[in-house]
Amino acid sequence: MFFMNRKKLADVADRLLDQQNIKGRSLWQDAYVRFRKNKAAVTSVVILTIMVLVSFIAPFFAPWDYETIDWNLIGDARAAGQPNIENGHYFGTDNLGRDIFARTLQGTQISLLVGLLGTAVAVVIGLFYGAIAGYFGGRLDNVMMRFVDILMSIPTMFIIIIAMVVFGRSIFLLFLAIGLFAWMDMARIVRGQTLAIKNKEYVEAARSAGVGNIRIITRHIIPNLLGIVVIYTSLLIPGLILTESFISFLGLGIQEPLTSWGALINEGAGQIQYGTPWQLGFPIGFFVVGLYCFLFIGDGLRDALDPK
Amino acid sequence: MLKFIIVRFLSSIPTLLLLIIVSFVLMHLAPGGPFTSEKELPPEVLANINAKYGLDKSWPEQLWNYITSIIFHFDFGPSFKYKDISVNDIIAQGFPITMTYGLWSFFVATTVGIALGITAAVKHNTWIDYFAVGVSIGAQVLPNFIMAPILIIIFTLWLDLLPGGGWNNGAWQNIILPVIALSTSFMASIARLTRGSMLEVLNSNFIRTAKAKGLPARTIIFRHAIKPALLPIMSYLGPAFVGMISGSVVIDIYFSTGGMGQFFVEAALSRDYSLLMGVTILFGVLTIIFSAVVDILYAWLDPKIKL
Amino acid sequence: MTLLKTTFTKGATIALLAGATALSSVSAQAATPMAGETLAADQTYTYRMLDGIPSLDPQIVEDVTGSEIIRDLFEGLTNQDAKGNLIPGVAMSWEASEGNTVYTFNLRKDSKWSNGETVTAGDFVYAWRRAVDPATGSPYSWYMDIMSIVNGADIIAGDKEPSELGVVALDDFTLQVTLTKALPYFADMTAHATTFPTHQATIEKHGSEWTKPENMVGNGAYTLTEWKLKETTTRVRNPLYWDDANTILDKVVTLVISDENVAFTRYKAGEMDRTAVPTGQYPDLAISMPDETFKFPRLCTYYYVFNVSDSAPEAFKDVRVRKALSYAMDRDVIVEKVTKGGQIPAYTYTPGATAGFKVPSVPYGEWSQAERDAKAVELLAEAGYGSDNPLTFELLYNTSEGHKKIAIAVAAMWKQKLGVEATLANEEWKTFLETRNTQSFSIARSGWCGDYNEASTFLDLFDSKHGNNDGLYSNPAYDKEVRAASSSANANAHYTTAEQILADEMPLIPVYHYTGVVMLKPSLKGYPIENVMLKTYSKDMYKIEVK
Repeated sequence: MFFMNRKKLADVADRLLDQQNIKGRSLWQDAYVRFRKNKAAVTSVVILTIMVLVSFIAPFFAPWDYETIDWNLIGDARAAGQPNIENGHYFGTDNLGRDIFARTLQGTQISLLVGLLGTAVAVVIGLFYGAIAGYFGGRLDNVMMRFVDILMSIPTMFIIIIAMVVFGRSIFLLFLAIGLFAWMDMARIVRGQTLAIKNKEYVEAARSAGVGNIRIITRHIIPNLLGIVVIYTSLLIPGLILTESFISFLGLGIQEPLTSWGALINEGAGQIQYGTPWQLGFPIGFFVVGLYCFLFIGDGLRDALDPK
Repeated sequence: MLKFIIVRFLSSIPTLLLLIIVSFVLMHLAPGGPFTSEKELPPEVLANINAKYGLDKSWPEQLWNYITSIIFHFDFGPSFKYKDISVNDIIAQGFPITMTYGLWSFFVATTVGIALGITAAVKHNTWIDYFAVGVSIGAQVLPNFIMAPILIIIFTLWLDLLPGGGWNNGAWQNIILPVIALSTSFMASIARLTRGSMLEVLNSNFIRTAKAKGLPARTIIFRHAIKPALLPIMSYLGPAFVGMISGSVVIDIYFSTGGMGQFFVEAALSRDYSLLMGVTILFGVLTIIFSAVVDILYAWLDPKIKL
Repeated sequence: MTLLKTTFTKGATIALLAGATALSSVSAQAATPMAGETLAADQTYTYRMLDGIPSLDPQIVEDVTGSEIIRDLFEGLTNQDAKGNLIPGVAMSWEASEGNTVYTFNLRKDSKWSNGETVTAGDFVYAWRRAVDPATGSPYSWYMDIMSIVNGADIIAGDKEPSELGVVALDDFTLQVTLTKALPYFADMTAHATTFPTHQATIEKHGSEWTKPENMVGNGAYTLTEWKLKETTTRVRNPLYWDDANTILDKVVTLVISDENVAFTRYKAGEMDRTAVPTGQYPDLAISMPDETFKFPRLCTYYYVFNVSDSAPEAFKDVRVRKALSYAMDRDVIVEKVTKGGQIPAYTYTPGATAGFKVPSVPYGEWSQAERDAKAVELLAEAGYGSDNPLTFELLYNTSEGHKKIAIAVAAMWKQKLGVEATLANEEWKTFLETRNTQSFSIARSGWCGDYNEASTFLDLFDSKHGNNDGLYSNPAYDKEVRAASSSANANAHYTTAEQILADEMPLIPVYHYTGVVMLKPSLKGYPIENVMLKTYSKDMYKIEVK
């Protein structure tokens, strides 16, 4: 009798899931339609796309590249390095007479890549780690979260320094290092939300219907986490973009003459009292615009994925 | 509850031990030592110094001595860089400072942040919302290493209102600028998290039901919505709190507060093994304590969550 | 023992280090206001420090900032005046005998510890034994080693007891030192912090905590009243100091400010009397604040070192390649456009400000930059590198804004003039040191500051046995010259030859000689900018009213 009931329940659940599968596919389409209706998000996608295209295409047409020193202007940024259309330095030059326009564009490539890939690493690890710990709870949760406590406390710098010595400099390591910096907080937030979600009726229903744990996590838990994950991700990105310059400080990552928003902003910030505002202004302008775009896209995605 | 605390306490012991061992090994694996310098010391002199600090012993022996002196004497040893001062003294001098400006920053960041976030969510898609979002993004894109020197130029050089740095035993004039610089980005993050999570809660079924029942908005927000909305913020506030009270490199460097935030970076860069272990352990203990506190708060915010 | 031991043994310095050998009884320096100056009511001198002080223990201190404070809190046998000349300190006079191997110092009877006790010769004996005692673990014990006191080296190596050190108190006010060899300028070395007296009872009572303000007992013109590691130190005038009557500054405060730009802001806001000129701002400030911006030579050289060891890249074993890279570096541009701190372009290694050293002329230093460039192109082509076989290597520097800028400019010069691809690689400080010490680099940024004011402190560095010869340059002819100089009456001739060998073989590229640049408020007087070793004494400074 009981056995019969369970089988029946499982059948029902499977059918329900199938339905959800069908619905799931159309859910993505729905989300796409909803996203397109969000003007701010669409505009942001357009601006970001333009930014990426310009950062790759404009250098072919710009009079200066990111590494060439203008020997006429070197060492006299304040007097001679102002933004100037005539000599081709549209955004001015830095103290070494290098073109800020070209450098900002080059930095845009690196920083957007860092922002996207570094965040992706952090989000993927954090999401699954946190969801698993929160869903299973108990001893596993305790072990997994104490491990996070340890990782949050050990001096990450040494891991980066040792990684650099062992593997040498590589951009791949940079992304890994950045992800390493960032996934723990994400994991904790996700785990906290999972603790709450797993007690919700629909999860309990699925569980009593005998749906596998992995399925519950991927089908029921994670989709309901997306809202908070998207917000937290948009908080993460600016930090990660700036973290890159710290990792480069340790020797891993981007080396001069290559640059990034973080490096340019750092350099410009050191000069604020010496009359060269363009050294900080243009890079930080790009940074701000980029962050706004990420933010609106994030909000748009959340609204689109969460029809409530 | 009691069982929870006991389990957490017991599990924190292996956690801390593992933290010490991993940090110790990482530290010794990193190239260079506390006494490598531009001018290489003659080998005899280096040998004397290593002997003085016990670095001539094997790793396991050093680790054992280190752990036992912490457990039995609560002694973190002498700093390798600041040779006249013990790590205990450095922490005793620096931690109260970071804790002071950290607690103030936490207070400012959470009250302003949560208030801003809730207002924005309740007034969703009005100018108040846009204003709140604008402020919080603005605060976030202005990193504190840019804000700190600008604050000093404005308040010290131009207006001559506040000292440009120093701690002065925690006089209020010296606390203001560090608190502004430290709390701003946290405030922005908290506001954004609160807004997002509040919006989600306000759109959920039970709040809609409550609205349909005709409960007044204030009751809905403060009785029903705020608790579940705060849950994800708690996960953020736990580490943020630890981060704030253990200080910030940027704040300590720009405002010369004398706090211990700078030691996390400096001790690592100068390979001051004992100081680094000291601040790592302190940070680890705080992290462990406050992740337990956050878990207790979860259970309070959502009674369905079992400790 | 170590190579450091062989240094400081140069005959040529005798004449130049004034007052070293003769029986000296010059009156002590003190703050002496000029006619027409009105002393300020508030005699507080405040200056910026880059970082917290690692130690205030005279026997342990290594750094310049720590020593600066220690010179106020303790007084050694001798001091220096504003120009770097030796003047009496606790010792009123001294004489050398036995051919400069035995020194006898006559101490003043009115020098007091801050607890009221009299400073005796025994206090110096205690301090000097302490400096060489392995148990003290002093990183500066090598300084005692080069002072060549009998048994010093053996005590450091742990082969003899500290009590066997060749220094005795003949009576309470007579100190006698016996040396292993003739050192005509031994007295000059006693102006250094490592040799300052320390108070035995205090150290034995408080152990490593004896330097805390509440514990410290000193014999200097000031006493320490506050020490907050990363924030501030305060020292106030010591009424027991023997020359307190002629001291003017009442209080000296240091502020730890890591960021030089913030320090400069706060200096402009009037919080300090002295700070560093922010990097690259010297030319502008010398025009906009001419009364406050000062420049002085320093005993330091900035250079790029080639790895010429067995593990080195093939290219750098070819002297033509090394020369080409050195010639193509336009030092004038680096100094005037990149570093902008008033530095002096360098074509030889030892700074011209070094006492008794005459910068020799080397051919490429005389050429115009165009000639150097042409020669560089020629040499590199001869060595077989060109567009079809470009020279590529990594240029290593430790993370710092200044090093980065120089490296960028240099790499750009090489690329533009020679078609050489130098990849820039920065490393965090300790990793960088490890990489450089183990010859895991191609070409690396280096800097060296003299430990004392004599050319050997620089030129010994390229001795094949020197611990800081990071490129492992080895040339018997060079070793012969620098080693011969120590016992020669005409050391300068040997130094000239040594510099010429370096220019011929180019194991390093000299870039520039450092210049110190400092901002001083017009109200501060007596800051010794002409003292190349930067031996400052607050007791010699004072503040005046400025309208």
